[in-house]
Amino acid sequence: MKAQCLVIKEISKDKTPHIELPPAFSKRDEIELDVGGRLHFAHALFIPNHSAIGANRTQPNPQLSGKHNQDIALYWKNCLGTSDLLDDLIAHADSHPLSGSLALDPGRGKVVAPLVRFDNVNATAESSAILVSLDDLQSFFRRVARDPDFARKIGGVLVEAGNDLQHKLKGFSPAEKFPQEKFAPYQNITHEWNPNGSGIMWNAYNFPVLLLSTNSTSTLKEAAIKNEKHNKAHNVDVAEFDLVMQTTKAGTHNSELCLREKTCLPLGGYSVWSSLPPIDTLSSEPAKSIILAVTSMDSASFFRDKSFGADSPISGLIAMLAAVDALSHIHDLNSFKKQLVFVVFTGESWGYLGSRRFLHELDLQSDSVKGLNSSLIETVLEIGSVGKGYSNGVKTFFAHATGVSLATNETLNALNQALASLKSESLLISTAKSSNPGIPPSSLMMFLNKNSRASGIVLEDFDAMFSNEFYHCHLDDISNINSTSIVAAASLIARSLYILANDVKNSTASDLSVINVNTSLVEELLVCLLSCDPGLSCGLVKNYISPSNTCPSSYVGVLLSDPSSTPYPGQSSDISRFVWNFLADKTSVRKDNAVSNCLQACNSSSDMCIKLETDGKGVCITSTTRYVPAYSTRLRFESGAWSIIPSNSSDPMGMVDPVWTESNWEVIGVRVYTRQDGTYDQLILLGGVALTISSYIAIVVAKTYIAKSLKRD
Amino acid sequence: MTVAAGLGYALIALGPSLSLFISVISKKPFLILTVLSSTLLWLVSLIVLSGFWRAFLPLKSTTWWPYGILVLTSISFQEVLRVFFWKVYKRLEDMLDAFADRLSKPRLLLNDKMQIALAGGFGHAMAHAVFFCISLLTPAFGPATYYAEKCSQIPFFLVSAILALAFVTIHTFSMVIAFNGYAEANKVDQFFVPGIHLLAGTLTLINLAPGGCIIAIPLLYFVAALTLMHCGKMVHRRLVENRGRQDDLE
Repeated sequence: MKAQCLVIKEISKDKTPHIELPPAFSKRDEIELDVGGRLHFAHALFIPNHSAIGANRTQPNPQLSGKHNQDIALYWKNCLGTSDLLDDLIAHADSHPLSGSLALDPGRGKVVAPLVRFDNVNATAESSAILVSLDDLQSFFRRVARDPDFARKIGGVLVEAGNDLQHKLKGFSPAEKFPQEKFAPYQNITHEWNPNGSGIMWNAYNFPVLLLSTNSTSTLKEAAIKNEKHNKAHNVDVAEFDLVMQTTKAGTHNSELCLREKTCLPLGGYSVWSSLPPIDTLSSEPAKSIILAVTSMDSASFFRDKSFGADSPISGLIAMLAAVDALSHIHDLNSFKKQLVFVVFTGESWGYLGSRRFLHELDLQSDSVKGLNSSLIETVLEIGSVGKGYSNGVKTFFAHATGVSLATNETLNALNQALASLKSESLLISTAKSSNPGIPPSSLMMFLNKNSRASGIVLEDFDAMFSNEFYHCHLDDISNINSTSIVAAASLIARSLYILANDVKNSTASDLSVINVNTSLVEELLVCLLSCDPGLSCGLVKNYISPSNTCPSSYVGVLLSDPSSTPYPGQSSDISRFVWNFLADKTSVRKDNAVSNCLQACNSSSDMCIKLETDGKGVCITSTTRYVPAYSTRLRFESGAWSIIPSNSSDPMGMVDPVWTESNWEVIGVRVYTRQDGTYDQLILLGGVALTISSYIAIVVAKTYIAKSLKRD
Repeated sequence: MTVAAGLGYALIALGPSLSLFISVISKKPFLILTVLSSTLLWLVSLIVLSGFWRAFLPLKSTTWWPYGILVLTSISFQEVLRVFFWKVYKRLEDMLDAFADRLSKPRLLLNDKMQIALAGGFGHAMAHAVFFCISLLTPAFGPATYYAEKCSQIPFFLVSAILALAFVTIHTFSMVIAFNGYAEANKVDQFFVPGIHLLAGTLTLINLAPGGCIIAIPLLYFVAALTLMHCGKMVHRRLVENRGRQDDLE
């Protein structure tokens, strides 16, 4: 049951609102609530089919329960100004829409709760820190949704690391069954692209959920079992959660409020695009039509900092980087009849931020997309998840086309030609089933939404359902994919793009045979981008950037300041900067065999400085590789502050965009220790005081006795 | 375990000492000075011992005898130091008596001498309590508690405070016995004190065994009670003798 918003038309003096259900019920509206004398922007939650608000269009006086504004449930699910407080959100009450849902608890300091295992929660009456294994996580959240009493008892949740091999047997995906369905360009959104999806990631909870490491898991399990055994003992093992989300503390519970009060920051990053060969903007020749190869580099997971996104989407990213590398060795790049442009989006998991902003910037013809003309884009080839195409010795990929058109046929032909040239018996490409409602969730959807006649193909390793059983899960790591699949995809893509760019009906086999993907590059990219050892400290990455973390994380991050400024290392993600440097290096034109560093002449408009972070001097090259900021088209950065632009119909995707933000926070930590009963502490103090006083009395008595015996002289 | 518990543990270890300080030692400035110098001396002794033993630590031994050697050497060193302390005190006593004679003021009485001995013992006790208990108590003021593996029934801080209290008693009153023994050249008292100290030290080795603290603590308090009784008896005897002598003089 999805939550929707409603409009409160008037507030009567006794503080009971009249609620009028708008005719088009799925609209999202803002509500002004005057309760307790304070004006609130709120979005009341309404569950359809609830008996209190029935079929009548106007329902008088459903009570706003609670005496102060603190008891009003504030929700932002699917409403304007969604605030994504990733770990500390308010839960919604399923049973009654406006009644005493959970009290807002602004700025809870440290929350201390005894450790309890999920199986034994019934036995406790107080707020607990619940230890849940990954297998039980989905049933745990189902119970939270069903049972508000249970939800009230939760002080915090600690998820066990678990045995990974065990978990690989069943899938786990906290995303929805049709990820980001509202952005689909077609009507049929009941198709389950992600059948394993439970949707738990997109619900609101008012307790923190943390993932434990393997060591911590065993320690905490022992502690919880100890608590169960010694139930009546005067000491108990507790978990202390030290995380205060500034948006909860300040009471700014949706994105619009929190951006205004500066208690949160919007999600966003920097997409990268690069053209092969570099575009000469000063050239007098007419601009070539553009073949756009697109992929994304960000993923999401239930746990903010632990998301590798191996199959979705990093496998696609690696395939593209390997394809660029393969194509860069061709000598006659300038003889291409069409311009190849590679784009790597970020923010796609959070409302297709990268692709939407890229298309917007193309419309505005801004500096970040200088050299690209959107009317010249002939077709789009998107590389989706390509890491799981290898099974039973056969590599299979599926081409999902936007429809039947000249451009899509050309691309399909190119793919088939590339397939034939690879002369491999274990490699197959099929077109997707016609029973699919359309293209799978992908950036290409945004191109279609912008221009319904756009044509493109998404290359995936699945047909009607994701083959990735761990979509948007922290377990989608390097063991979930296969490098053979990625190498095969990269070869297909490189050769297809060559065929498309050359626009020749039958490329000779000899032309294509020089385009080969470097398998060791793929292996290296895999361990650099999808593992923690060596992770981003591997030689390949360190050749280009100084990474801020060793463990790569594909979470998009937040935009710290003006998005139009060039990102510097503190502001942008490591993967983003690596991709920029890598693409710039591979698509560059060698400058006269002289390797010059940036401190020497690197001034002309087509020159760029790469590898600057590694030694401060960098290398000057000629390339067209640019950052494009990726953030919601509903956001505007003006005079140092973010604000939300009201939705309007010229930006239909913006209308369904929740505008995700991340709350500011100072520290996120949890400690576990043994805590003594309060009465025990008082007893100890009493004992100490009693001891002191009685010893004083004894000493005084002894003194008097000695003095008396001396006086007897 | 919160401030209340931390304060409670500190009072358990040092409450009686506080009472003693307020009622006896703070009345005479000279006693305060004695306490300070005694504390300093015994803290230095502990530092010297730790300096020496640093080379061999951590012991990481599952058997008890390395700890036994540790205890033996430390106690022997301290007892030697006690004799040295006595000798310094004797010189001081002679100087004070000479000074008093010059001013035609009365010499040190028995009462004074016993109080100085008490102050000396009190200093020794303070050094022990601070070194072995108070320095460990800081975490007790926080929200958590800790149970050592080998003594899982009682919180670590409580064990530490109780043991410190026992040793405070032992050290305070053994100095009185010891000074008296050296003054009277009473062999029993002279060997009683090192014996008690060694016994107490050895009893703490029982704590190394799992659940040993349940046995060690009562035994240690028995030793402390023994010291207290012996001291009381000795003081009583000396006072009676003294009274007798006064009567004879008159």
